[in-house]
Amino acid sequence: MFKPLDPLLHSELRLAVMSLLISAETAEFPYIKEQTGATAGNLSVQLDKLAAAGYITVEKTFKGKRPCTLCHITPTGLKAFEEYVETLREYLKPGASG
Amino acid sequence: MEENKNLTAERSLEIIRESIERSQRAIEKNSGLPLVWWGVCVIVFSLLIEYLWKNHGGPAWNFLWFVMWVIGYIGNRVLDKKKETVPTTFVGKTIGHVWATFGIFCGGIGLVLCLIGCGILPAKCVVPDSHIYMNITSIITLCFGIASTITGFIIENRAIQVCGLVAGFGGFFAALQFPMQQMYVMAAVALIGLVIPGLLIHFQNKN
Repeated sequence: MFKPLDPLLHSELRLAVMSLLISAETAEFPYIKEQTGATAGNLSVQLDKLAAAGYITVEKTFKGKRPCTLCHITPTGLKAFEEYVETLREYLKPGASG
Repeated sequence: MEENKNLTAERSLEIIRESIERSQRAIEKNSGLPLVWWGVCVIVFSLLIEYLWKNHGGPAWNFLWFVMWVIGYIGNRVLDKKKETVPTTFVGKTIGHVWATFGIFCGGIGLVLCLIGCGILPAKCVVPDSHIYMNITSIITLCFGIASTITGFIIENRAIQVCGLVAGFGGFFAALQFPMQQMYVMAAVALIGLVIPGLLIHFQNKN
């Protein structure tokens, strides 16, 4: 039997967000929006879900006079992502069957 | 991107790969123009100092290098504000630290030699034997090449690695071989080590 994939990460947008944040210390909201091609509303909802699970932190700050939303991946998020990738590898092993 | 409950393992891996690659491209794209800017600064000031040195005085015109650092820094800040928002990454920070280290060493050596030139520091504290000839252009171009090559390895860009090696080795030996044409050597090194890699990065990621 395969280990189940983390349902929170097993979504196109949330997975893309986590993949972007994995190599970044911090990323701004417009950057994530541009890279994922998501709408601002949808992205906000998905970021809130990831933040509620403790996978990322969302920090509201200012860049000069403009408001700025910064996202960081947390150690919990990093561990969850690593486990997700590990599980994916199990699924993709030649001859693997669930 | 939509919520998708039927996401396959293959598609998941593809999303991860695409996102990481896209992020890498965005970071690389933004590192192109600062390289071009600093390269153009070095070329312009090398040629300007060469002209002034030969026609209007002597080596005192080397003080213009400090003016270049100021202009370069201001231009860099302007480019920083104009460029697309990119995340803070370990790679980006490391590249910044490599070039900052280069600046500190070259600026430090330049400052010490300037103080000697002005008579503030005795020459003996740097070169104890008057028979020893110190070629600062050789040292700076070597540092240039090292910083450029390391940048190439960090962002895994073969063109920058090659340009860095050519600029470093070429500049080091050319400055020793042609001591009277040091400013031209410096300009050529900036063209090979900064402008060409910067343009390559910029246009590769633009397409």
